[in-house]
Amino acid sequence: MSDTVLDVRGLTVDIATPDGTVNAVRGVDLHVGRGEILGVVGESGCGKSTTIKGILGLLPPNAEVGAEMIELDGYGDLLATPRKKMREVRGRRIGFVAQNPFGSLNPIYSIERQFYELQKAHGTKVGKKESREIAHAMLDGVGIVNPARVLDGYAHQLSGGMAQRVVIALATTLSPQLLIADEPTTGLDATVQAQIMDLISGLVRSEQRSMLLVTHDLGVIAQYAQRVVVMLDGEVVEHGPVMEVMVDPQHEYTRKLINSVPKREELHDVTA
Amino acid sequence: MALSTITTRGPSRPRRASGPLKLVASRLLFLFVALFGVVTLSFLLVSVTPGDPAELIAGPVASQDQIDAIRADLGLDQSLWQQYLDYIGGLLRGDLGTSYYTNLSITSEIGNRLPATLILIALSVVFAAVVGVGVGAAGAYFRGRWPDKVGRFGTSLFQSVPDFFLALILIYVVFFVLGLAPAPTGQIGIGDVRPEKVTGFITIDALIAGEMGTFWSAVSHLFLPVLTLGLVYAAYFAKTARSTVGKALNSQQAQFARAMGLPERTVLRYAFVEARGTIVTYAGVIFAALLGGEAIVERIFAWDGIGTWALQGILRLDVPVVQGMVLVAGAITLVTYTLLDIIVGLLDPRITHG
Amino acid sequence: MAESPAPARRREPGLTASRWTTVRRLVAEHPGAALGVTFIVVLVLWSLFGPLPYDPRGTDGSASREGPSGTHWFGTDGTGGDVFSRVIEAAKIDLSLALAGTAVALVIGVPLGLAASTKGKGSQRLVRGLDAFQAFPLLILALALVSLSGNQLYMVVVAIALLNIPRYMRLLRSEVLAIRESRFVEAATAMGASTPRLIFRHLLPNVWGVILVQTSLTIANSIVVLSSLSFLGVGVSAPTPSWGSMIRDGAGNMSSGEWWIATFPGLAVLLCVLAFNQLADAIGDRTARSYR
Repeated sequence: MSDTVLDVRGLTVDIATPDGTVNAVRGVDLHVGRGEILGVVGESGCGKSTTIKGILGLLPPNAEVGAEMIELDGYGDLLATPRKKMREVRGRRIGFVAQNPFGSLNPIYSIERQFYELQKAHGTKVGKKESREIAHAMLDGVGIVNPARVLDGYAHQLSGGMAQRVVIALATTLSPQLLIADEPTTGLDATVQAQIMDLISGLVRSEQRSMLLVTHDLGVIAQYAQRVVVMLDGEVVEHGPVMEVMVDPQHEYTRKLINSVPKREELHDVTA
Repeated sequence: MALSTITTRGPSRPRRASGPLKLVASRLLFLFVALFGVVTLSFLLVSVTPGDPAELIAGPVASQDQIDAIRADLGLDQSLWQQYLDYIGGLLRGDLGTSYYTNLSITSEIGNRLPATLILIALSVVFAAVVGVGVGAAGAYFRGRWPDKVGRFGTSLFQSVPDFFLALILIYVVFFVLGLAPAPTGQIGIGDVRPEKVTGFITIDALIAGEMGTFWSAVSHLFLPVLTLGLVYAAYFAKTARSTVGKALNSQQAQFARAMGLPERTVLRYAFVEARGTIVTYAGVIFAALLGGEAIVERIFAWDGIGTWALQGILRLDVPVVQGMVLVAGAITLVTYTLLDIIVGLLDPRITHG
Repeated sequence: MAESPAPARRREPGLTASRWTTVRRLVAEHPGAALGVTFIVVLVLWSLFGPLPYDPRGTDGSASREGPSGTHWFGTDGTGGDVFSRVIEAAKIDLSLALAGTAVALVIGVPLGLAASTKGKGSQRLVRGLDAFQAFPLLILALALVSLSGNQLYMVVVAIALLNIPRYMRLLRSEVLAIRESRFVEAATAMGASTPRLIFRHLLPNVWGVILVQTSLTIANSIVVLSSLSFLGVGVSAPTPSWGSMIRDGAGNMSSGEWWIATFPGLAVLLCVLAFNQLADAIGDRTARSYR
């Protein structure tokens, strides 16, 4: 076992459009250490989400992913992994949490069914009853008070915070060593945001997992991540330990980002 | 926080307190009111519009006395109000009157002909749904690639072709040129033995009577009319399926399912489940629209269903026949819509019955 | 604020550029619609001014049911009439009746739809009533109206209009209700804009696109209804050629192999309907895009 869980070098994503090729991601390096939370920050459209989708192999066929290497510890090179095999990586080795949990959960199937589908998809030989027991334990683990009731219910019956807890439970059911969280608190109530972040970072720390935390919110990064990567226009413009970057930003853009943090909070005060 | 949310919004409790019983009751009430409206409209439709059936029945050479006699015989000399009351009164006794021309009871005529129409419509809707949803879903999955292009071309073509013209083309190609289907002679061939009536559905009655020759003939006679209606309405299904399944496949939900490592067929199934409410609604609406909407196709294939019967009734101003048809079609449509409301509500947990 | 009109959905950025480049781009983006419009224009011009090889109302007992050839491009029908001449001539009556029915539906349906676009109980009941009306077999209804009136042509127009007025009303109502929710109407109301002003300056410019789409679809649908009626021998009657009655004349010949009598008028209907459907798609596409 090495200390690096995910090692991405020189990742590029080129997207073919009718108006020509767009170089959405241009040579991004990412290293996620064991037990570490790596923050990726940048404004929307800077290529953060495209980077993640590139790593997970979730981009549409008109996007071409290239890299020197995408090495997942304990598995191997993701770039050389055929599309079909990538399915086994997703969910089992890399868990994924997206923003807006109501968009993530299936609205028609019960929560229990969604746990079952997940385990069935990864060849876990469990019956409906065992699947329910596992799901029950997972929901319990993410702080849901009455798991049985939630399992029987549907996504729309949950509050935003609860739904995101369910998503986190799903993402960690197969105990992946790496979690990728894409703006996990966007769209949630301000009070719930901190709870969700505490929950995720707690889950990472307690199990010696690692996490790639993508957000536009430097405040969240400062509080939870150990190291940070700043992205602008598909490139990494600055990276390093969070404290160093926050205290002594080298790049003009990072400075702007840091300066904008308190401003946004002021705005919150005005609207609230 | 989590504690308080779960106690106030328990998952197993519907949002508004009302059971399925209340839903059914409210729908049935609406159904009843709407049916009454249909009855009244179908009465007014033929009673108020210009044109005198008595003159038409009597023919061009009849004297005024003869016409008056016919008019009295049909009850047309009474006040509109009295006619309406008579009509409602008869309706409550299950009596829809008799045909001006054949003197046969409307109720029994409908009973005799409805099965032929129902089997045609039901098979057409099933065919249309299977083909249309298949084409539409393939188009959504391979958006912009060749299966999508072919599917969309077919969709716009069949959406634009009048059903009666397609019927004729299919008769020429499949019957005359290829010889793969029997001549358009109705539900069975001219030489076939008509089985004794039990259910009214010829295929089933033939099986009961053990007439296998008639059974296969009836099945093969269904082929062309079902193909005609099925292709035309498959276009509607394809269009809807392409957009609804496409939307579901591009949703964040599908993205999340893929990110969780669910296989493509599960992702597709998720998308189908999302889209099925819309598709079922479509099936119901098309089923209702076909009642009467397929009259011309029935006529072309000499199909002795209520469509052919109603067309004939209209063309010779047989008022009770028209009223009967409008009433039956309106009633079946309303019942279908009501069932649809209930089924779609049961299929989607998000719809709370309020 | 109240003076500035609501942002209209139809805004064509290319209009300032040269006309020709705009047309070329439109054709390139919507080839189906362009072909369709060309077909309709050629058909209409030819039927109005073009020379026809034979008298469309004429018969020729010596040349009945001849297949397509150099002398009779689309063959001849049972009475020896030239199918090609008749197909072109029929465009006059078929298209004008379809357009007239659509126009009546538009002129009545749009104001009624606007009037019904309130959230009140009354207008909701009205919509339910319209739904119940749609529950009738509409073709049967149209047939009944026309044949009960003693086959009057104006009744064909009335029937087409009656079938389509509810569609316009429903569409207008749902669109207007959606727009009323939006901020600019809220703002205009707050500024004290009068009702006519709201309708003409804020609502109508924004529903123009959907009305155009619906109109194109209605024309297509009217052509089908019309040819269905004349296929059944109702509405347009001999000797005036109409596509529906021509298909009827050739229907029986389909199972004996003389396909051209019904197929060419059928293709005329098909192509016209296809043209208006494609046009509706193209308009819908453009309005949806400029809305963003």
